[in-house]
Amino acid sequence: MQVPNDSLSNPLSLKKKLFTVVVFTKLSTKRFFRDRLALFFTILFPLIFLFVFGALAGKSSTSVTFDVAIVNEANTALAKQYVKEADSSKFLKIDPTISSLSAAKNKMVSGQLDATLVLPSNFGTVGSNKIPTGQLQVYYTENDASAGQTLIAVLQSQLQDTSAKYVKISAPLTVASDELNQKSLTEFDYTFSGLLGFSIVGLGIFGPVNVFPELKKQGILRRLHTTPIRVWQYFTATMASQAIIGLISLAVMFIVAVSVFNLKIVGNYLEIIVFLIFSIIMILGIGLAIGGWAKNERQAAPLSNIVVFPMLFLSGTFFPRYAMPIWLQHVTNYLPLTPVIDGVRLLATAGDNLTQLGPQLALMAGWTIVIYAIAFRVFKWE
Amino acid sequence: MAKSIVSAKKLRKVYGDKETVKGISFDVAEGEVFGILGPNGAGKTTTLEMLEAIRPIDGGEAILDGINVADDPEAVKQVIGVQPQTAAFQDKQKLTEIIEMFAAAYGERVNPVEFLKDVQLDEHANSYAETLSGGQKQRLSIAAAIVHSPKVFFMDEPTTGLDPQARRNLWELIQLIQSKGVTVIMTTHYMEEAELLCDRVAIMDDGKIIAMDTPKQLIKDLLKKGFKKHEEVQQANLEDVFIDLTGKALRD
Repeated sequence: MQVPNDSLSNPLSLKKKLFTVVVFTKLSTKRFFRDRLALFFTILFPLIFLFVFGALAGKSSTSVTFDVAIVNEANTALAKQYVKEADSSKFLKIDPTISSLSAAKNKMVSGQLDATLVLPSNFGTVGSNKIPTGQLQVYYTENDASAGQTLIAVLQSQLQDTSAKYVKISAPLTVASDELNQKSLTEFDYTFSGLLGFSIVGLGIFGPVNVFPELKKQGILRRLHTTPIRVWQYFTATMASQAIIGLISLAVMFIVAVSVFNLKIVGNYLEIIVFLIFSIIMILGIGLAIGGWAKNERQAAPLSNIVVFPMLFLSGTFFPRYAMPIWLQHVTNYLPLTPVIDGVRLLATAGDNLTQLGPQLALMAGWTIVIYAIAFRVFKWE
Repeated sequence: MAKSIVSAKKLRKVYGDKETVKGISFDVAEGEVFGILGPNGAGKTTTLEMLEAIRPIDGGEAILDGINVADDPEAVKQVIGVQPQTAAFQDKQKLTEIIEMFAAAYGERVNPVEFLKDVQLDEHANSYAETLSGGQKQRLSIAAAIVHSPKVFFMDEPTTGLDPQARRNLWELIQLIQSKGVTVIMTTHYMEEAELLCDRVAIMDDGKIIAMDTPKQLIKDLLKKGFKKHEEVQQANLEDVFIDLTGKALRD
């Protein structure tokens, strides 16, 4: 048997204690990448969400479109031309299956159509002054009133352009528009930062919450407790390992978001990485506290659900917080996940620097202290 | 008796209103194999856990290698090795990595394969722990517990659930550890195991030590009281038959 030379009766030096942390970090990271199930839930699962939510956000953010039906009762050249032009219009999506107003009404009631355009039989008839006239009829339901109003405004200005071809009008008041070069945040920017938050929660909370009770049940933590390893060493190794795994998982999300969903990263990558590591460590503390406290899965699962789900929904994970009532925004400002999601968005897509993230970083630092104070206090080895 | 390395004085453990260990005292000499015997619930495991510094001591004191266990648990943990009742390891971890990890827990860097060789697991060095048999896991657990050359080695029912071959192999391993000068404190339900391995045994019942001596002396005392076995003493038992038929070689 091998006998290490140095005496072990002296307390371990700090260097040796850090060596312990390094080896535990290395081994648990290695172990993670051999676990297919863990890989699926940490890397693939958030990606699935990214594709689903990315597709939804992409659809609604590219441009405004109206789902409409056109019922043409006229037989004039102008009416035919109008239908043709409407068909190629960017903001009208025409349902080709509808030919009567009653069929269109059914679809409007069920919410599949925003409005119906009816060209009455006299649309486009040429009058004595050789100028075609007509009145386009727009139908919409009560629930779609705002969409209907917008549509009418758009159609009106279009018809005005058409009318101008026949009668010269000089409007005294006009609107001039100019596209600004500055980029505004798209819905996908919000979706993406929310999903990063979701991914960090999955990794940092559900990871330890699922693993720790199992390790306790098997007596693996109890066995470790018979060695001189301290809770802080074990926590630090877990933190480091989760940060490595987390960064890889988040990097995959960034790559997909940039390459598939055209996410524009305007921030500094190093700052984003530093911020994400801080975020992972803070959120992991919640997992360490719950998993470290719980004696078994029956204690861990309900508690983690109580903590996680409200936080996911209220911190802007699946829908942006600006959609919430103001009072709720004030409350949810202070949740631990909120500064993570806001911070990622500000850093990555709004182009802020870490130095501009004072409020977020302060809130996260506060939470980190509180969370880890609890985690260390409630940790049990068995 | 040689120099005492473990000394328990009036050790007590209370769970709620139940006193599991009721003020027991004993000394274990350096290099000795000391057995704690007793039925389930006698307080054997709790006694070990208090000496291992993982369970608070509610009364009395324990001195291990000159260290007061209650005062400096960390120092105690550096000089002891512990083999738990059930050997469990995390999945997807190679045997070499498990040895590396336990050595690292003591701040040590070792050559894992050498330790695996000692317990005849070097062939499985790159296997995952979950592929091992029960006996192999126990041996791995022993290897992991002695990576830091402990002075005192605690074993809680090390052979429970093993087949006769694996058990005999473990006995040899325990004797090998003792021959290196390591003090062994073990619990067991198997009397023949205690008789063979232990220099002295303490018999516990209901939280108290009711007898403590060498196995030979305890038997002598019993005979002195006029005890006679009902059946004739056989020169061999069924286990001897089993081993004769199936051989001593390990089956895992």
